[in-house]
Amino acid sequence: MAHPAIEISGLTKRYGEGDTAVDALKGVDMIVQPGEVVGLIGPSGSGKSTLLKCLGAVIEPTAGRMTLAGETIYDNGWKVADLRAMRRDRIGFVFQAPYLIPFLDVVDNVALLPMLAGVPNGKARDRAREMLAALDVGHRAQAQVSQLSGGEQQRVAIARALVNQPPIILADEPTAPLDSERALTVIRILNEMAQRFGTAIIVVTHDEKIIPTFRRIYHIRDGRTVEEAGEARAA
Amino acid sequence: MINLASRDILHGWGKFVFTGVGLGLLIGVTLSMAGIYRGLVDDGRVLLQNGGADLWVVQRDTLGPYAEPSNVRDDAYRSLLGVRGVAAAGNVTYLSMQIQHQGGDVRAMLVGYEPGKPGEPDYLVAGRPITRSHYEAIADVRTGFRLNERIRIRRHEYTVVGLTRRMVSSGGDPMVFVPLQDAQEVQFLKDNDALVNERARTAANPAFNRPAVPGLLEAVQASQASSRTVNVVMLRLAPHADEAVVARDIRRWKHLEAYTRADMDEILVAKLIATSARQIFMFLVILAVVSAAIVAFIIYTMTLNKVREIAVLKLIGARNRTIAAMILQQALGLGAIGFIVGKTAATLWAPIFPKYVLLLPEDTLRGAALVLVICALASIVAIRAALRVDPAAAIGG
Repeated sequence: MAHPAIEISGLTKRYGEGDTAVDALKGVDMIVQPGEVVGLIGPSGSGKSTLLKCLGAVIEPTAGRMTLAGETIYDNGWKVADLRAMRRDRIGFVFQAPYLIPFLDVVDNVALLPMLAGVPNGKARDRAREMLAALDVGHRAQAQVSQLSGGEQQRVAIARALVNQPPIILADEPTAPLDSERALTVIRILNEMAQRFGTAIIVVTHDEKIIPTFRRIYHIRDGRTVEEAGEARAA
Repeated sequence: MINLASRDILHGWGKFVFTGVGLGLLIGVTLSMAGIYRGLVDDGRVLLQNGGADLWVVQRDTLGPYAEPSNVRDDAYRSLLGVRGVAAAGNVTYLSMQIQHQGGDVRAMLVGYEPGKPGEPDYLVAGRPITRSHYEAIADVRTGFRLNERIRIRRHEYTVVGLTRRMVSSGGDPMVFVPLQDAQEVQFLKDNDALVNERARTAANPAFNRPAVPGLLEAVQASQASSRTVNVVMLRLAPHADEAVVARDIRRWKHLEAYTRADMDEILVAKLIATSARQIFMFLVILAVVSAAIVAFIIYTMTLNKVREIAVLKLIGARNRTIAAMILQQALGLGAIGFIVGKTAATLWAPIFPKYVLLLPEDTLRGAALVLVICALASIVAIRAALRVDPAAAIGG
């Protein structure tokens, strides 16, 4: 039986110490299967970004357990020696704004990830062009970032997240700067890519117009998650 | 792996190049300061070389004609010619003065010499040597005098018959060569009114105007109206003569000071221009510090403007050394542009300087290395700032 792409249990994160300590996460549980796109919603300060940072291995949880594709990466302490390489090879990031590197052209923005992993420049660019074509922005491969529209930039950002074919993608409010039509297009693309590459995608969002598109949603309130199925929402 | 630094530079090349040009002008000033120091040293050495002398004989307990006043009787050369190993001797006088020219003043060093003897300018770039005993002159081209131009020095007019180059005093004043007797007159003789007053004063002195000693007053007055003094006697030695031995003999038997070329070099470089050299060195240090501060500030600002990109790069797996290399390469790139601009500027504006600016290739190489070291050191602050950027900054919240 295939392992879940992401499995989190009892994850806690405490900022500060003593009287000033704040528990941002108070025992989060979450399971995401390969090829699944789940929403993570909650009010400001509920712990969404903290959870995303823990999952992205950029901050260390205080306690709990996290596994990626069956491998334990955190169990009351990091179990992976090189977090940087793990982020590069196994986690894709899509941000609220595209955050493309302005001094690189489109193809090199995407090819940068495989290059950082040691893939030769030519091969990395070939992979980048394939991914850009899959996201319908292949014709803008040689353009400068500043020449792209907002929607095109977000597609390039998604291509960058996918190019190393990581098992999970963490998307932090990826539709925030987009209008309804473009926002729905981005979610459709993420769903297609999840299906195509078997990538598990967690989308943090406040965006009411895209929330109905998720089959499963995790609500996060006061540092704890509550799972809600799409069918339950429809009812 | 693509070169992130070069891509960033190409992306914002205008800003980068303008910054490099600004830095380059500063580097140009630094190179020029080094060139001015080298010029001072070289002027001194050319000054020694052009006289064609092996020994400089001056008044005892003085440092010679370029560093201290020195008076030697002008017949001393005869006895110096008798010293073993001396092949030729020439009397020379030096006087720094203002010479009127085209409604303005030219600061020059007037040199009196005896044609055909040591002290004569080595080469001419135009015209001919002095052939008459009076009222002809050879001028360094920096005086601005033209061939066949008539110039007035004190009471007499001189015709410029030859032009020479790189003949300047240790202070950088261009030289004007005139016959020795003319120079002695300029240097030591008083004006007519002063002579009349001096004669009257002497005649009123009973010690010099004794009725019992006819001719005494005339002899004293004649000695007051003529000069028998020069500043230095330059000696050319015979082949194979040991200059140290000759100098020792002159010191021992002639009661004069004799300096070899090495001694004069030491006096000119280590003593005469030492203060100027220290002054220039201080300027160099200050300019280097200012350059480093500017590069550090520019690179630091450029890095702070890229904090978000650096956070993204770190989040997607870029190594610290990749980011550090990007900043270091940009700093070195800035230094390289600055150095090219600085070297070009220094070369272009060197001829405009009133003093000789000597830009040596080895100084250029040292300058290039120093600029790169300064840029590398200046990038440390920016690299530290970049390495402190938290990759979590790329994720909202």
